[in-house]
Amino acid sequence: MSSADQSGPRSMADRVAGRLLQATVLERLGIALASVTTAILIGLVIVAAAGYNPILFLNNLIVGALGSERILARTLRLSTFFILTGVAVAIAFRAGVFNIGVQGQFVVGGLFCTVSILWTAPFLPTGTVGGIGLMLIGTVAAAVGGGLYGALPGVLKAYADANEIITTIMLNFIAIGVVSWLLTNPLRAEGSTNVQTERLPDYVGLPPIVFGDSGFSVIGLVLTLALVAVVAIAMTRTGIGYDMVTSGYQAGAAVYSGVDAKRTIVATMTFSGAVAGLASAVYVIMFQGRFIEPASIHTYGYDAIAVSLLAANNPLGVLPAGLLFGGLNSSSSYIQTYSDVPVQLIDGIVGIVIVFVAAPELFRMAAKRAGLGGDDR
Amino acid sequence: MSGLDSLEYARHRGVRLVGLVLVMLAALGVVGAVVFDVPLAEVLSDGLETLASIVTPGYVARSMEMAAPITLAAIGGLYAEKSGVFNIGLEGFMIFGAFFAAAATYFVGAGGAVHAWVGIVISVLLTMGLAVLFAVLLIRYKADQIVAGLGVWFIGLGLVPFTAAVIWGSRNSPRLPGVGRLTVPGLSEIPFLGRVVFDQSPLVWLTVLVAVGAWVFLYRTQYGYWIQAAGENPEALDTAGIDVNRVRYATVIFSGGLAGLGGAVLLAHSSSFIGTGQTMVDGRGWLGIVAYLFGNYNPLGAAAAALLFGGVDMLQGQFQTLNIEASSKLLGLLPYVVVIVVLTGWGKTQVPSSVGEPYESEE
Repeated sequence: MSSADQSGPRSMADRVAGRLLQATVLERLGIALASVTTAILIGLVIVAAAGYNPILFLNNLIVGALGSERILARTLRLSTFFILTGVAVAIAFRAGVFNIGVQGQFVVGGLFCTVSILWTAPFLPTGTVGGIGLMLIGTVAAAVGGGLYGALPGVLKAYADANEIITTIMLNFIAIGVVSWLLTNPLRAEGSTNVQTERLPDYVGLPPIVFGDSGFSVIGLVLTLALVAVVAIAMTRTGIGYDMVTSGYQAGAAVYSGVDAKRTIVATMTFSGAVAGLASAVYVIMFQGRFIEPASIHTYGYDAIAVSLLAANNPLGVLPAGLLFGGLNSSSSYIQTYSDVPVQLIDGIVGIVIVFVAAPELFRMAAKRAGLGGDDR
Repeated sequence: MSGLDSLEYARHRGVRLVGLVLVMLAALGVVGAVVFDVPLAEVLSDGLETLASIVTPGYVARSMEMAAPITLAAIGGLYAEKSGVFNIGLEGFMIFGAFFAAAATYFVGAGGAVHAWVGIVISVLLTMGLAVLFAVLLIRYKADQIVAGLGVWFIGLGLVPFTAAVIWGSRNSPRLPGVGRLTVPGLSEIPFLGRVVFDQSPLVWLTVLVAVGAWVFLYRTQYGYWIQAAGENPEALDTAGIDVNRVRYATVIFSGGLAGLGGAVLLAHSSSFIGTGQTMVDGRGWLGIVAYLFGNYNPLGAAAAALLFGGVDMLQGQFQTLNIEASSKLLGLLPYVVVIVVLTGWGKTQVPSSVGEPYESEE
């Protein structure tokens, strides 16, 4: 790792990326597993300390993720959102840019998607053909909305040197506030007491194929997998992807070989934001069928940071990590209904997972002390 | 710091001050244009009048009250970063601080101001305990500072409402006592100054003390120099026989404690703990980070920046009392917008050169 570049967070990003790249796949997998197991164990201790039955909680955790066909559909639905937002985060992290703004880009993308469908629906035929047309329009609009909202902090970072960690977090707060205001006032569904838009037309939506009407469609999952494959290929096999990753790992070398660092930052953030927008398109079209109060939407964009880190910022690794988070969150719905353990605990466990993922050294030392591995690093 | 550097620094500071005024004027101008929706000339004359009616003693006092928690978190954060550790977990520590203060006050008795004070002290001790764990993770186990800091935030967002729900059956606490105002008889009658200075929350004065003390300690004591050296040139400090990591432990634990105090102050100034949404801290820890960036790692500069954020934050209520039509939801976003404007103008700050790097002494 070069220590020539000392520009604060950027060089820090280099070091994170460098460290993660150095670690072998197997080692990463071990650390990821150890982080998750430790976090869940701590969660169980907290459950017990709070006076609940930890065995019952563990049971609920498993039943709540996989217990029935309906529950499995919910897990897969949530996993879809975590995989897509996780990929959005991974794109940026891999290129050495910290996009903490996926939540905001998700909110803006979802609004663009909903509004574009609602506004163009009267001009298109109804039925399946119109439905597909509207879904395409909505998806493109979501990617554009999320992409533009991601480009903004990218431009501020590239051309004004504004720390993207802080600007993206501020932009999350702003997106949620402004969209919430829009849904309360000009865009609110007529006669609705809830803060939400009108419903999308019935013919806009993905048909459930394997699972019943559960807000989950296998088509959505297949499209998600296709997108992950496209991103993985784009990151490793295309020129722009190569430029992004080299800028992330070896900023100096990238600039020397003629990569425009500023444009790469903007492109990365736009790409990342666009994927966050796509996640939202799936959320709106497959699941909600409208857009709702953004403050009440689950924090997919924040959890996605944990998903991406757990996956060592590898788009393919995001798949298992996204499934794990889908399962955890599905369990939290189950626990909310069938147990009196407050569900916020799951968010806490996610936080603990992140802390442990940040400290691979902890597990290396623990493994060494326990005589595992044997490889002296 | 060489002579040339300090000259440059002074020049920067001048630019910064002018910038600060410009940002404030621009913010007010935009608000004015939106609110009045009339030609600019009229806005200017009306604006001055309105400005006078907005900047009341009560408003200034409330802005200081709002700025206190941000200032405390900012000073903690800047100490850690000066020593070479980026404590991006300030928001999380503030959430814990507010909650610990609420829970401690609740269990101690919740009868009056005394209990609130006890709650604050317990809260600071507990957040410092958490900061010890955080510091061990960062320094001993070389955890990635940004990721671990984000982790602290998420843990706060998850575990605190969880624990609140276990204790109170709701993510919000019942009404709790605050510390009240410190009113100096007689002096509080002085126009303007009376309300701002002599009829003020004691915690605001504590914050002023902390800010001044932090400045003196950082720039006028031996240990303050060690802290700066730990961030700028750890090798030199090590050569001089000072344990770099010990200095960093101290600042990280101090930063956690101060952020916790910030959260506790926030609680003492409001009536109850709120654990829904982003919790009652609601981004103030992030504002704290921006405040010290904006204040160029100077405790007094950070306090001034925090006052700016506090003032913008309180504009909302001020508009409401003056019956100025404006969506409170949108006005509430003003501090976040100001942060982005500020960061865009002052993105380049004097980051200590070794921030983020774990230090390993060659033994």
